[in-house]
Amino acid sequence: MDPLAALEEALASAAGMVAGAGTVDEIERVDAALLGRDSAVGRVRRSMAGLDPEERPRVGARLNEVTNEIRRLIDERRDELQAAEDASRLAEDSFDVTLESVRLPAGSRHLIHQVIDEVVDIFIGLGYRVAEGPEAELAWYNFDALNTPKTHPARLESDTMYLDWGDPDDEVLLRTQTSPVQARYMESHEPPVYIVAPGRTYRTDTVDATHLPVFHQIEGLAVDEGLTLGDLRGTLAHFAREFFGSGTEVRLRPSFFPFTEPSAELDVSCFVCAGSDPACRVCGGGGWLEMLGCGMVDPNVLSAAGYDPETLSGFAFGVGVERLAMVRHGLDSIKNFVDNDVRFLRQFR
Amino acid sequence: MKVSLRWLQEYIDLPTTDPAELSVVFTNLGHEVEGVETLEPDWTGVVVGKVLEVGPHPDADRIRVCQVDIGGGPTRIICGAWNFDAGAFVPVAVPGAVLPGGFEIGERTIRGVTSHGMICSERELGLGEDHAGILVLDGEEELGRPFAELVELPDVVFDLAIGPNRPDAMSMVGLARDLAAHYDIDFRLPADDLPTVPGDTGLTVAIEDPEGCRRFVAREIRGVTIRTSPMWMRHRLAKAGMRPISNVVDVTNYVMLELGHPLHAFDADTIAGGSLIVKRATDGETLVTLDGEERRLTPDDLIIYDADGPTSMSGTMGGERSEVGDGTTRVIMEAASWDPPTIMYMSRRHGLRSEASLRFERGVDPELADRANRRASALVASLGGGEVLEGFVDEVAASWEPAVVDLRMADVDRLLGPGLDAGTVADILGRLGLTVEPGDPMRVVVPTFRPDLARPADLVEEVARIHGYDRFEARIPTGPAGGLEPRQKRMRRVTEVLASAGLFQALSLPFVGLADLERLGVTETDLLTVKNPLRDEESKLRPTMLPGLLSALRRNLSHGASGVHLFETGRVFSVEPDVDDPRLPTQPMRLAWVMHGPFGMTVDGKGGVQADGRVSLAVWRRLAGALGIEARLLPGSAPGFHPGRTAAVEIDGVVIGHVGELHPEATRAWEISGRVGIAELDYEPLLAPVAPVPGFTPSVYPHVDFDLSFRVAPDALAGELLRVTSDAGGDLLESSWVFDEFRGPDGERAIAIRYRLRAPDRTLTGEDMAAVRQAMIDAAAAAGATLRGA
Repeated sequence: MDPLAALEEALASAAGMVAGAGTVDEIERVDAALLGRDSAVGRVRRSMAGLDPEERPRVGARLNEVTNEIRRLIDERRDELQAAEDASRLAEDSFDVTLESVRLPAGSRHLIHQVIDEVVDIFIGLGYRVAEGPEAELAWYNFDALNTPKTHPARLESDTMYLDWGDPDDEVLLRTQTSPVQARYMESHEPPVYIVAPGRTYRTDTVDATHLPVFHQIEGLAVDEGLTLGDLRGTLAHFAREFFGSGTEVRLRPSFFPFTEPSAELDVSCFVCAGSDPACRVCGGGGWLEMLGCGMVDPNVLSAAGYDPETLSGFAFGVGVERLAMVRHGLDSIKNFVDNDVRFLRQFR
Repeated sequence: MKVSLRWLQEYIDLPTTDPAELSVVFTNLGHEVEGVETLEPDWTGVVVGKVLEVGPHPDADRIRVCQVDIGGGPTRIICGAWNFDAGAFVPVAVPGAVLPGGFEIGERTIRGVTSHGMICSERELGLGEDHAGILVLDGEEELGRPFAELVELPDVVFDLAIGPNRPDAMSMVGLARDLAAHYDIDFRLPADDLPTVPGDTGLTVAIEDPEGCRRFVAREIRGVTIRTSPMWMRHRLAKAGMRPISNVVDVTNYVMLELGHPLHAFDADTIAGGSLIVKRATDGETLVTLDGEERRLTPDDLIIYDADGPTSMSGTMGGERSEVGDGTTRVIMEAASWDPPTIMYMSRRHGLRSEASLRFERGVDPELADRANRRASALVASLGGGEVLEGFVDEVAASWEPAVVDLRMADVDRLLGPGLDAGTVADILGRLGLTVEPGDPMRVVVPTFRPDLARPADLVEEVARIHGYDRFEARIPTGPAGGLEPRQKRMRRVTEVLASAGLFQALSLPFVGLADLERLGVTETDLLTVKNPLRDEESKLRPTMLPGLLSALRRNLSHGASGVHLFETGRVFSVEPDVDDPRLPTQPMRLAWVMHGPFGMTVDGKGGVQADGRVSLAVWRRLAGALGIEARLLPGSAPGFHPGRTAAVEIDGVVIGHVGELHPEATRAWEISGRVGIAELDYEPLLAPVAPVPGFTPSVYPHVDFDLSFRVAPDALAGELLRVTSDAGGDLLESSWVFDEFRGPDGERAIAIRYRLRAPDRTLTGEDMAAVRQAMIDAAAAAGATLRGA
């Protein structure tokens, strides 16, 4: 066949063939059929060497034009088909992002420890250190060194657990408060003292919604020259604002503890209603929440530790960690903290 | 203490009666307000009337027609009660009145006679149960006066928590004194006149225990008639939460509430031998107290005896034998000063915490004994129609002195800051009833009703209390340098790592019973013991953390939990003396965990693993890695641990605990199905400081990997083989890991290890690798492993 006629025929049939290709695979076959070695165009290309030299440029020029045109048609179609296939592959390669299927193992620290660390960190920010002490403790440190006389009711077996151990004159008990850490720390450190002492404490209480025989306290103690009741109030107000929120108000009301004089209870304004809701579930409408006991360190406690109460003064406080956690998280039973139910623990990550 | 505002107002003219405002004042004075109850009359339209005439009903036998004056002349009222006569003062519900329950009173015609109101009984007014007759008032009253006024309604009752250091404030007068100091106003004491008749009580009193009783005052009142107390007294007592009983008993309670000194009344005719002796009881003696209980006495009990034996438990509860009853005519009124600890122990020992013991254990003013006795005797005489004998007993066994405290302004300034001047301080102390001699120091004489004020700091508290705790300028002092110690930081790190690894931190009570330990295979029975445990079966302090965690695991499983992984840090206890402080038992910190059920990445549990000893060890490796702890794992065993699936953890040659799996027998004993990964480790060694990690920059030169497969004994330790061959790799070894374990029949076993070599500064040569490889093979051979296929 005349090469030019063959080229025109190939070009004429190309559009139909290209359009007929429905997949990328088919367009590759069309590509071979139209431009491959054995295609009409391919045969013209191979026959070029045998052509009349006068005819060759003309045929050559047309060959290139036709090849380019067919190539263009094929490429266009291929791009189209490729895009369609990519789109449908992506459509298939998807998952429901709202369906959780992979989960990293995740536990949690106990809420009580989270609260302890949070409180400790507030005081670390004020230059305090963290002190520790034994849980099985001498009655001396738990009571006597803290100005608590032998006849104080707190020393009765109805309140305090005693251990069947050691010298009967040097009674050992399960500490009823973290305050003995105060006495121990002062005994072994020179003033000034700025410490917090978190830890476990024990009382002869059976488990119910508001009592545990084992609970946690954080003791705070500052002893320095020139510390006054105003320093106590400022420090605890700072703590309350950091822990419960910047709008928290505090009030100190007179109270009694053997190891402080003057003694006080600290109330914080209700962080839910600030006293505006008579039916508030947190404060019961009173507007204030009892938070902790505190006071100026009793001179007898300073003396027992070998400090001079004439030149030094200080303040101390003890806060119940369970109480802090219950108030802030709206928990109604203290039992939660020792039930170790993962459904409970999981809430506080 | 329940405080009726209306009653309190008898002693002080308060500038406000607003309950909210007074609550704040009580609070600021240190008397915590635990409740405020507003009392309103449950009726309207009831007034005082006087019965002028009582006559028969023309047409009915059982009711009478009365003429009653309620202030506007005679009114006709029909009444069915017969317990009164003309001249009686009675509560009258006038037409339009509404009685409790919404019962409206109108004019009513009964058998042709119209009644203009109703005369009321106590029950009809909701004031009591008495329905035997109408309520006849005690004396003359203003006609037409609202009846509610007579029972002091409306009223407000404050429930105050009085501190253990304030015996004085457990009384109306004490609270009035505090309020007067706060408002800087006056308060009034009750009348102190005591009409007496000549004569001497024949009673003798002997105090044989001056430590237990420093003063005993007794007066005799003759010719007393026991009857119901007047209405005003009964209602005041009821508002204070006390049940009215009879005039004599009510007077003792009334004066206790008024002045703060408890009293006791004896029927004088029942005091055998006419003498009372105060002494400690003899073991085994018994006394039947007023509540009908027979009390077994101990030598610590302080008892009042008569010639027949114990007759009253001092300061706590009287005895049945000498109780005042309906037939009593001769009353001995006792006011005695008891030793606070004696009463505190005795009342608790016998489970008898009474209003009296609550005051005595705080320390009642001995000075007050006679004052209270006079007041009570006078009231008994006036309410019971008797006469008080002039001659009375005032036995003093130990004297008392007011405390004298020298207060310097420096003491005030040190605790409260500068800002209060000496004049203010002296004024506040004076308002509280203290006598102040000016000067610096000022000399302060403290009356005996304030036993809590003995030192300068005590007085400073009073100054602050009255001035207002919240009026001192708030400051925030800071310490010189704070922060966590490295050890404390590592404690946080441990819990953070375990939590992020998927374990939940638990907190268990540290009490165990021997049965819990037996189920774990712990046979040790010499354990630290609580003398007074909550429950006998939990009297031991845990020697291991595992029982608490296993209980928690089992409880979770019973709630349907799947995949329970818990860890805990805390103390265990032993009877051995502590190395640093031998006065205390050893109480080291431990870290423990239990793991059960699916642990891993997929929600359906299929993509994870079942927790067991291997998983427990994986947790250990993660923890050790995060803490930079170099520890060796060796096969180990410990009570409760599976002997073939447990590693002993060794740091610097010391075993610090075990990580592995719960022993199948323990699993069965704890009624848990499936394997349980467990661990228990001494905590302190994990918290020891570690040297900083020497860092390096990763090499850019190519690596060479090769595998070695060793034939080993069935019980050989892969970890040890890995360790010795890796050590032989020297500096060129970058990493190594066991990638296969093969166990054939006949005890055949092989372990395959992949080693990766890389030099920091060059490309490795064939000779490098060959030398390393040979060194490893030699090291393995020395450890009893031969190269497979060699």
